[in-house]
Amino acid sequence: MRCRRWRGKRTSPSDRSRPAIDVGTKRRWFGGREGAQKRFVAAVITPAALYMAALSLLPIIWAAALAFFEFSPRRTGGPILGLGAENPFVGLDHFRAMLDFSEQAPLNVRQFHTAVKVTLIFAFLVLPLNLAITLPLAAMIDSVHDRLKVVFRTIFFLPVLTSAVGVAIIWGFVLHPQRGLLNGLISKITGKVTVIAWITDPNFLFFGIPVALLAIIVAYLWQDIGYNLVIFIAAHQAIPQSVKDAALVDGASAWQRFRYITLPLLKPTILLASVLTMISSFQVFDLFQVMTDGGPHDQTRALSLDIYQNAFRFQRMGWAAAVSVVLFVLVFVISLVQTRFLRSQWEY
Amino acid sequence: MATTLKRSHETERDPRRGASRPLRPSRRKLARVCLYLVLGLLGIIAAIPFVWMILASFKSGAEIREIPPTFWPRDASLGNYETILNDPELPLTLFYRNSLFVAVMNVLATLFTASLLGYVFAKYTFPGRQAFFWFILATMMIPAQVTMIPGYLILVQLGLLNNLWGLILPSLIDAFAVFLMRQFIVSIPNDEIHSARVDGASEWRIYRSVVLPQLKPALATLGMLTFMFHWNAYLWPLIVLTEQSKRTLPIILTWYSGQHDAQPNLVMAASVLMVIPVLIVFALSQKWIVRGLTLTGAR
Repeated sequence: MRCRRWRGKRTSPSDRSRPAIDVGTKRRWFGGREGAQKRFVAAVITPAALYMAALSLLPIIWAAALAFFEFSPRRTGGPILGLGAENPFVGLDHFRAMLDFSEQAPLNVRQFHTAVKVTLIFAFLVLPLNLAITLPLAAMIDSVHDRLKVVFRTIFFLPVLTSAVGVAIIWGFVLHPQRGLLNGLISKITGKVTVIAWITDPNFLFFGIPVALLAIIVAYLWQDIGYNLVIFIAAHQAIPQSVKDAALVDGASAWQRFRYITLPLLKPTILLASVLTMISSFQVFDLFQVMTDGGPHDQTRALSLDIYQNAFRFQRMGWAAAVSVVLFVLVFVISLVQTRFLRSQWEY
Repeated sequence: MATTLKRSHETERDPRRGASRPLRPSRRKLARVCLYLVLGLLGIIAAIPFVWMILASFKSGAEIREIPPTFWPRDASLGNYETILNDPELPLTLFYRNSLFVAVMNVLATLFTASLLGYVFAKYTFPGRQAFFWFILATMMIPAQVTMIPGYLILVQLGLLNNLWGLILPSLIDAFAVFLMRQFIVSIPNDEIHSARVDGASEWRIYRSVVLPQLKPALATLGMLTFMFHWNAYLWPLIVLTEQSKRTLPIILTWYSGQHDAQPNLVMAASVLMVIPVLIVFALSQKWIVRGLTLTGAR
């Protein structure tokens, strides 16, 4: 079997390889080989298409429609999807309300603004920190002996395999003000009992960023670096040994080898990994919900959490759908920008 | 030089260069030592939250309340584990069964639909093929938070709330899995399919006997990734399952942690019981998971 490397993702789905048979151009439906093939394709595609229409296309359209309604599942709505009647059409009201930046804006609007800010800070801190850790770490792990390589990879990869709930609970306990490991460690080093409320003190800021949010970023990085790490290690191993040897022969230092050989050769991988890291960090839910549930004072209220709470705690599904549309647009625009950047930088 | 002959890069180096920098070998050694020190330190930092969790699960209720906290348990006991395993409110086997059922059914469904659809997309042409395939790819771009609200409303209509099938039905076809399978199947030579057809095999037979056997490694990888994803899933089960006895492990773990806020020793023991066994299985099948990730960049 031919292994498709990571870059395989770039090949367009309209792959140029010729299909085995061309059912579309043949006419016979019953009897004969072509008929059998047509029936096979129909038997597979018809249920799949119906399923996708009902459980993939419908939810997307429904979500878009909900954003223009005031909707709660508790009220009796109109005949089509429960929209209308007691769930009235409000047009662009939700989106117009989102642009109300005044002090008198309703609570849900202010919470939405906080959520956008929190999500953007989170995503734009996670990506550079992630790369700053994984790139050198991958280079270091790549240069150790093969058996140790597996050991280190496993250690850094274990958190990826752990459920996010487990990660949130473990980190909640590491950062516990009285019983946590971190405060215990600080107490031991400084010699006096230290009680710092890492994830519950609303007045605890670091360069204007709530420390609770930073704590979640740390936990997320701990959980997430394994992904990019294994991908980068694999990319390292794909660099021909002759190239590495040539650099050694020329007396290049470790830094020079990293800067002028590893980085340029890894560039496509790095760019694609960046897009994926960014997209997934926009959608993190588990850590926010379990570690802080948005607190203190909404300082860690991410968009995904805001959508969940509005939809399922306050039953404001129309508003929640509108916020989810904003989340989609954000993710879409940012991945578009990154892919554009990626495409222009691809050839080296 | 004789002792370093075995190291390829040492031998290839120009001897004059070595002579002009006599310090080089020892500096090299020093650099290696530093490398191992840094890696070891980072490894300890990465592992310590796990260690902290496991150690805390052996501490007594009194010891866990001490300020500042102890690192090593003073007199380790299995008391917390006994408490949890005998807790009538926490029938762990039931929750393990729920989680296992959901994950296994999802794996079976995903492997079946993805390989079959991947085969049809890779090896047949039919009207609307491009459009349908692009649509499947496009659904990957939609965040889960967008479709979860209508998805919930659909499940309400189908009466599948508080039903484990509610965690299986919406994920029968996985867009990413279809894409992955198609990529693999495209590389299967058309001649093999043709010759099977000449030998009189039916289309289903070709799928089962020609295509599927060649997909084994890919299916194993995809199966592991799918299992892991559904085993650890939190948001969707949180919405669908509100009845205690129907819940899966991640939700039970959060619930238990909220109930025993003041007894972290119990919470940690519960976390160990719910996280570690599967973590060991995942770690042992790491090869497959890592391969899947590096081949695809899946997240």
